[in-house]
Amino acid sequence: MNAQPDTVGDIRRPTSTHPLAGRTLTGADIVVQVLADEGLDVLFGYSGGAILPVYDAVFRFNAAHPRDDGSDPMPLIVPANEQGACFMAAGYARASGRVGVALVTSGPGATNAVTPVRDSMADSIPLVVISGQVPTGSIGTDAFQEAPISTIMGSCAKHVFLVTDAASLEATLRTAFHIARSGRPGPVVVDIPKDVQNAPLVFDGGRELPVRGYRSRLRAVEAATIADAECARFFAALGRASRPLIYAGGGVVSAGASEALHDFAHAFGIPVVTTLMGIGGFDTTDPLALDMLGMHGAAYANYAMDDCDFVLALGARFDDRVVGVPAKFAPKARTIAQIDIDPAEIGKVKGADWHHVGTLDVALSRLTAYGRQHGFGPDYSEWLDHVAALKTRHSMNFCRDSETIQPCAVIEAINRITDGRAIISTGVGQHQMWAAQYFDFREPRHWLTSGSMGTMGFGLPAAIGAQFARRDRVVIDIDGDASIRMNIGELETVTTYGLPVKVVVLNNSGDGMVRQWQKLFFKGRFSASDKSLHKKDFVRAAQADGFEWAQRLVDPAAIESTVADFLAFDGPAFLEVVIDPDAGVYPMVGPGATYAEMITGDWIASRSTPVASATEPTGMF
Amino acid sequence: MRHLISMLLQNEAGALARVAGLFASRGYNIESLTVAATLHEDASRLTLVVFGDDAVVEQIVKQSSKLVDVIEIAELTGREHVERELLVARIDGDVSAVDALLARFGARLLQRQGSHSVVEYTGRADEIDLILDAMHRVGELVDHARSGIAAIEQPLVAA
Repeated sequence: MNAQPDTVGDIRRPTSTHPLAGRTLTGADIVVQVLADEGLDVLFGYSGGAILPVYDAVFRFNAAHPRDDGSDPMPLIVPANEQGACFMAAGYARASGRVGVALVTSGPGATNAVTPVRDSMADSIPLVVISGQVPTGSIGTDAFQEAPISTIMGSCAKHVFLVTDAASLEATLRTAFHIARSGRPGPVVVDIPKDVQNAPLVFDGGRELPVRGYRSRLRAVEAATIADAECARFFAALGRASRPLIYAGGGVVSAGASEALHDFAHAFGIPVVTTLMGIGGFDTTDPLALDMLGMHGAAYANYAMDDCDFVLALGARFDDRVVGVPAKFAPKARTIAQIDIDPAEIGKVKGADWHHVGTLDVALSRLTAYGRQHGFGPDYSEWLDHVAALKTRHSMNFCRDSETIQPCAVIEAINRITDGRAIISTGVGQHQMWAAQYFDFREPRHWLTSGSMGTMGFGLPAAIGAQFARRDRVVIDIDGDASIRMNIGELETVTTYGLPVKVVVLNNSGDGMVRQWQKLFFKGRFSASDKSLHKKDFVRAAQADGFEWAQRLVDPAAIESTVADFLAFDGPAFLEVVIDPDAGVYPMVGPGATYAEMITGDWIASRSTPVASATEPTGMF
Repeated sequence: MRHLISMLLQNEAGALARVAGLFASRGYNIESLTVAATLHEDASRLTLVVFGDDAVVEQIVKQSSKLVDVIEIAELTGREHVERELLVARIDGDVSAVDALLARFGARLLQRQGSHSVVEYTGRADEIDLILDAMHRVGELVDHARSGIAAIEQPLVAA
């Protein structure tokens, strides 16, 4: 098929009331005007030949429309590389719920964006990445800084547009934002050849592409309601259950359904476990909260899933890190009910006995209202007593009188001082799991982590983006020594823009999670995961990047005072914590194991005799 | 099991690659694929045949229906439908035997030079297999090309 943009039947609003409607603008000016119309207050990006016209248009826009205080209305934040820019945009999107935007150049600029685009796809994060492309006539000639972005990104993004017809540029851009934020959100890439950026075009102010298949499916999902008969069937099954459990995923956060979830859970007294991505979707300090389940979930969350007889999955996708062995997940559940906005998630891993495809907050509010109207008042007190006992008996814990610093003690200290109200971003690995386990999250969009892709290096740029989205919040990057290395260039970005981001590096001299697996499954052969010979001085590195407050913490007795001092600093601050290199993440459900085989470690009570762990490498990952 | 999937696809850069990629990433070979214009200049009809586990193919179809470029998608396997494939072949063999074969199958002669006959035939995929077998028996099958399946759903018509 020829690359032919979709211009037929453009939806034109009857009369665009845009003040610039009918004006002739360049493609680049149109890009910037659409970004302004979308309400963007910050952009992230790295320049280069093929995107220069857009960069120039941003400069001119900012010069022509200064804010009252003289600052730029649409500052363009420059990272160390494009992966950083796109993770900043993703951090902005995750913390705010709005679409994050990154502007990158062609070729290497755009290929550096691949990882964050895939990461955002896997975690359903709305992003628009605008990439410059070589001029239309040069596409396919192996031109300087040319890469086949529509092909590459086509496999990783929610959608990608290659704008070969300049006349469709404005409609394409507006449609990109619509696609990124609607339905199950995701990243959209718009690849714009340089000649299209320079083309003189008539600005309309409202054009969008028809994308009729997408729009009709979206309308169906958004209009979907749960019929009375389906509500009745749902409550009949729930009425037969005596041990119901809500399994809440990232969909609760992206749908803005945490209030609806709170109301539903409390209306009928049903406890809630969350996935890694669902953290913050349900207040962890709520009495019904059973916290995170899964491979490194709380023992009580996993035991509750093992014991329950009814699972209500909300915007959760039964990921392998949660489910382990699908046939043995929730083994006593007689009913699995599932609500998701994505029809492809229904029954993908576990068959659903009852399901609804639609928007989560609407669906939950409908069920709550129906249950109340029909006097649904079950008595789950025995079950609630049971899970309360699980929570007490199998509570999270670690060695509290260690001579080396235990990472969880540091996290507990930060949590205490910030009252569990900070925005937390993480890298990937042990520190990520400790943060997920030991922080409180009272609200959604305070927990920013690369869940599905597991991208090391996510934490620092995501924190930067989040700080731009939420100037009013303390933003803390909880990182590992290996993860932060991956995007350590962004330390300088923190100080360049004077962001009060707090960076914590839990340094265990290596890839701790890899070592943990090597201990368990590879007889302790630490192939390429030990970094104790590395010479990097993180504190001096941070100082070199302009951090005035940069300290190393080694004494367990100084945790509280140092952390307090660190968090109180008014500006960028960097804290390296030298932690016990042998600290492990527990509980752990090994890959391919069931919850019954969960290893709880030395400090968390297990309810079964520990099962001998596999000592041979397995095919599971 | 054999799955016959029909899609209406927006003409856009990479649309076909995205659909093919969903099947390829699960390790399924696409058995046949036809793409051609429709009356709408912004859309193409795509017909795809793939062999695979029912549940997995159903999941891929669900994933395909999420692609922004996909306007409509239907699995025709379990529905009433008509499907046809075109065969163009060159046979080197006794012309009277070839003519007899053409008559028996209802195939057409397009060109003849000496003992070389170029013929065309349309039918279901299994009928194409049959005529190819028969051609082997009447002469040497020098060259041939199959178009892949084109199919439309057969609406249920009240008698």
